[in-house]
Amino acid sequence: MLGKYSKTIVLFTIMVGIIIIMSIFIPDKFLTVINFQSISSQIPEFGLLALAMMIAMMTGGIDLSVVSITNLTGVIAAVILTKLVSPQMGEGLITLIIILAILVAIISSLVCGLLNGVLIAYVGVPPILATLGTMGLFLGIAIVITEGHGITGFPDKFLFIGNGTIWIIPVPLIIFIVCALIVALVLNKTSLGLSIQMLGSNPVASWFAGISNNSILVKTYMITGLLAGISSVIMISRVNSMRPGYGYAYLLTAILVIVLGGVNPSGGFGTVTGVVVGVIILQLLQSGFNILAFSPFFKKFIWGFMLLLVMVINFFVAKYQQSSGKLKIHT
Amino acid sequence: MAKELLEVKNISKAYTGVQALDSVSISIKRGEIHCLVGENGSGKSTLIKIIAGVVKADEGEIIINGRFYQNLHAIDSIREGIQVIYQDLSLFPNLSVAENISLNQMVERKSKLISWKDVTNTARTELKNIREKLDLGEKIEDISMASRQIVAICRALTQGAKLIIMDEPTSALTKTEIDSLFSVILDLKRKGISTLFISHKISEVLEISEKVTILRDGKKVGEYSIDELDNDKLIFLMTGKKIAYSRFKYKEKEHHEKMLLEVRGLSKRGNFENVNFKLRSGEILGIVGLLGSGRTELALSLFGLNKADSGEIYIDGKQVKINSTQDAVKLRISYLPEDRLSQGLFIEQSISNNIIITILRKILNRLRLISNIKRENSINKWSKELEIKTPSLEAAAQSLSGGNQQRVVLARWLATNPKVFILDCPTIGIDIASKSNIHSIIRDLANAGMGIILISDEIPEALQNCNRILVMSKGRIVKKINDASSITEDELFNIVGKKELNKVG
Amino acid sequence: MNKKIKRIFSHSEIYLFFIIIIFSIILTSINPSFLTLENLFDLIKSSAGMGILAVGFLIVLLSGGIDVSFTAIAIAGQYISANVLMATGVDNIYLAFLISCSVGILLGAINGLLISVFKLPTLIVTLGTLSAFHGALLAFVGTKAINTAELPDCFKVFGHNNIFVLTRADGTSYGLSVYALILLGVVIMSWLILKYTMLGRGIYAIGGNRDSAVRAGFNIVGIQFFIYCYVGFLAGIMGVMHISLLRYSNPMYIVGTELGVIAAVVLGGARITGGTGSIIGTLLGVVMISILEKNLVLMGLSSYWHQLFVGLIIIIGVSITSYQNKRRGIRSLTFR
Repeated sequence: MLGKYSKTIVLFTIMVGIIIIMSIFIPDKFLTVINFQSISSQIPEFGLLALAMMIAMMTGGIDLSVVSITNLTGVIAAVILTKLVSPQMGEGLITLIIILAILVAIISSLVCGLLNGVLIAYVGVPPILATLGTMGLFLGIAIVITEGHGITGFPDKFLFIGNGTIWIIPVPLIIFIVCALIVALVLNKTSLGLSIQMLGSNPVASWFAGISNNSILVKTYMITGLLAGISSVIMISRVNSMRPGYGYAYLLTAILVIVLGGVNPSGGFGTVTGVVVGVIILQLLQSGFNILAFSPFFKKFIWGFMLLLVMVINFFVAKYQQSSGKLKIHT
Repeated sequence: MAKELLEVKNISKAYTGVQALDSVSISIKRGEIHCLVGENGSGKSTLIKIIAGVVKADEGEIIINGRFYQNLHAIDSIREGIQVIYQDLSLFPNLSVAENISLNQMVERKSKLISWKDVTNTARTELKNIREKLDLGEKIEDISMASRQIVAICRALTQGAKLIIMDEPTSALTKTEIDSLFSVILDLKRKGISTLFISHKISEVLEISEKVTILRDGKKVGEYSIDELDNDKLIFLMTGKKIAYSRFKYKEKEHHEKMLLEVRGLSKRGNFENVNFKLRSGEILGIVGLLGSGRTELALSLFGLNKADSGEIYIDGKQVKINSTQDAVKLRISYLPEDRLSQGLFIEQSISNNIIITILRKILNRLRLISNIKRENSINKWSKELEIKTPSLEAAAQSLSGGNQQRVVLARWLATNPKVFILDCPTIGIDIASKSNIHSIIRDLANAGMGIILISDEIPEALQNCNRILVMSKGRIVKKINDASSITEDELFNIVGKKELNKVG
Repeated sequence: MNKKIKRIFSHSEIYLFFIIIIFSIILTSINPSFLTLENLFDLIKSSAGMGILAVGFLIVLLSGGIDVSFTAIAIAGQYISANVLMATGVDNIYLAFLISCSVGILLGAINGLLISVFKLPTLIVTLGTLSAFHGALLAFVGTKAINTAELPDCFKVFGHNNIFVLTRADGTSYGLSVYALILLGVVIMSWLILKYTMLGRGIYAIGGNRDSAVRAGFNIVGIQFFIYCYVGFLAGIMGVMHISLLRYSNPMYIVGTELGVIAAVVLGGARITGGTGSIIGTLLGVVMISILEKNLVLMGLSSYWHQLFVGLIIIIGVSITSYQNKRRGIRSLTFR
């Protein structure tokens, strides 16, 4: 059993190592309450996207449309929050509309996921192509709705989600922790979760083992969509605005943390813990880069470079494992 | 000119912890048809790879055409005329027949450019050489398995093959196609080209080979000429055991002739037509037939993967619709797939996950979560029941031998407590000892009341383990044998192998 | 003869061809100036760059891989060559091409190294290099746009060159751009490689069955390395064509247009799993996407609808081909 978590232990060590290094070299800016608050405010929305992508990758697929889903659901929620709310309204009515906006956002994210799932499972489109297409479609709808403009000015109560705290813990962080726990539970302890892993390992054997591939895939992409939708609610609440085209840098970094976190891109293996630690590592690095005033372009370069580095390291690790006889050879 | 084409002396090869080959010698003369026989794990594949220069031996000598090779590389082996046709044929599905035949030798020649005229001419010449006809322009993915086999042989010939090594070439061929293949091999022999044939199908070995080398557990048991061998002796040499063959007896009275499954007029266009049969509790019903007879398609229609167009299915006397595998599992019908490795197992997942995947609902606790206790109990119970040998149940399924792997897939379905169990060629590629072990498991299940359908490629297996047999051809049941003991092997062989058969309702 | 006709119709390219014809007829009925020589010349000039990128993408796809970093390579080649020319004062279009293509081959070689030597999954690797290349360009070379005035003349002159010229009724002229010639050159060169060299057949072989290609003795590492360098080379060519077309260079451009190119190639019948696809199909796909992109406004849709439309086209296009494949695949699940 340790084998499954050995990668996570390595990651944890890396994370601690990074904290130590940063504490030594840039202690005055790094070890501040503000910095940690900033880190913990970014982790949730990004972490949810990473979890969303992870679920899709567990089935051996990929969801390139997650950021577009957040854009679309964010726009829909933003429209409801601004168009249906007028200053004269009473507290209760505003709260109702907020709840309505959140509900509609969640439902539309599920619908987006459903479309992805149906295309992949029932029509048979390869996940890369299906989500490439929906990536454009969802963003396109968002652009058409807003005509390219941004939307700002949400009710104060709504901003609590992104900015408030419940007993010193930021609300987004609570949401993220709850979601991460639920995802971990589903993956490891439910029949759906195990089916997802097995399907990712061998879709053909999955058919023959009586698993309903199509329904599992649809559920998978709907969960992915749902997590993306939750992320968008947190996102727009935190910055009090929504503009289509926001967040596409997250796509690459989400894949980075997933690969870093030990998820196998061809499916079947991966842990939530690994992904979460990966997310934390990324945010630590991100904050360090901000303190060192790296330009966004330099960061773009670094993320790409890191992804390649991690994969090359994985290559050598796997090679070492094979030569030390950990894998059996058949005659 | 040396007498022997290939001489391999005292070859040994060890992998970590396993002695794959222990001082094995084999020699093949020009134009000889030689068979390499042995169970899984006996070292056949390793020996082939060493002869092909793909793997390096730890000790021993390799002499090809009188030339001694200390360090044999793949390119040397190819230059000496040794060509290996692996089981997957190593063809390019997206390229044409002509290209597949001609490409390899062009790579070998290090050509930079392609002359399409050359490609077509080369292909045409080789096909003519072995007196076969194929459409040169068709893509490999569109032609039959037997035609692909021909393409692979032609490809080997274009590279000046003097020895063609074939790894289990008949596993996907019909009887007529096998006969064709054998006549091609005889043609090769007439041209002075030797064939080394790896097989575990005893009947074929006895039919085509001139010399047989037998391996067991990495050691050479012996080399015999074909006149010295018969069925029993061959099996004894392969396994070191005498397998007692008893016939399965259907305990009619015990099970009150309870009708588990009845199929009436089941048809699916292009697959099978007007299929009628019954299956009673305690029976083992065999279905035999050549490839293309519709056996697997019929089985899958009972499992929800190949819904029939018309006809009726009755379980326990009640009509049912089986539209999905979930329906089938609910009706307690199980199916053991033909291709264990890609259809049956999740090869990188743990043995325990492979077992419980079908009984997820049974191991949930009240919160709909997987209960660790129930999971452990189920895994232990079934691995013990089927004697799955492994140091740890959490190890990956790929660490198991073929026989143990099949037992895992069996365990998974037995855990669902099926009423009807369809087994599709369950003992393919499994060593003889495991084979008979699986047979006795199947018989025990039948005696306990399960209804079993056994689809088999091997006539002896069908005759020994079934009480009734259906013969299918081109999608129809052409003969119903109601008492397996009433027919001999040869008779059944003839029925199955005939091209034109009269319909029997 | 019948067999040949049957084989022609079994290719999806022929259906795409008919769709394009039908579409053109519809567009011409809305706006008669669509089907004029001038409009066609214009279409060729503006889509030649995309066509070249698409041919590169096709070749990668044929080998069973995928490369999404080609846009970053194109803009890198473009921006670096423009800056070098401006810095050295040399005003020579051939030098521009040389620099751009060299940059392209170098960056492509990095992709090739990671994919062929380390055998890493191609989609994720090229997502990584897309980010790394573009980020490096912006961080290390610069982010400043180059406007028309600052741009060396050779680019502007090049963009104007025509193969032959025709005059309109009012005396002004228009012509078929040299871009057509460059595109034709790339197409012919690529076609020759794919059809008449062992390298080309090796690309198809790897895409068809990698293990068989290894056993046949193909130099997998070498062939894959070549493929990604070739894509880089083509991207370098496109980069210079692009800057000459716009008479402007902004290092944030080109990146982000991957979707259209991929849509064109997939629409043209290439399989994402590799081994199947043709240059003709790819060109037809480029024509289709270009016509759509340029004429959305004509069909009554504002430019906001562009993204949505491209996404929708991809979805519909791949759904049709995927569904056909699926029906074929279901049958092969039961048979061998």
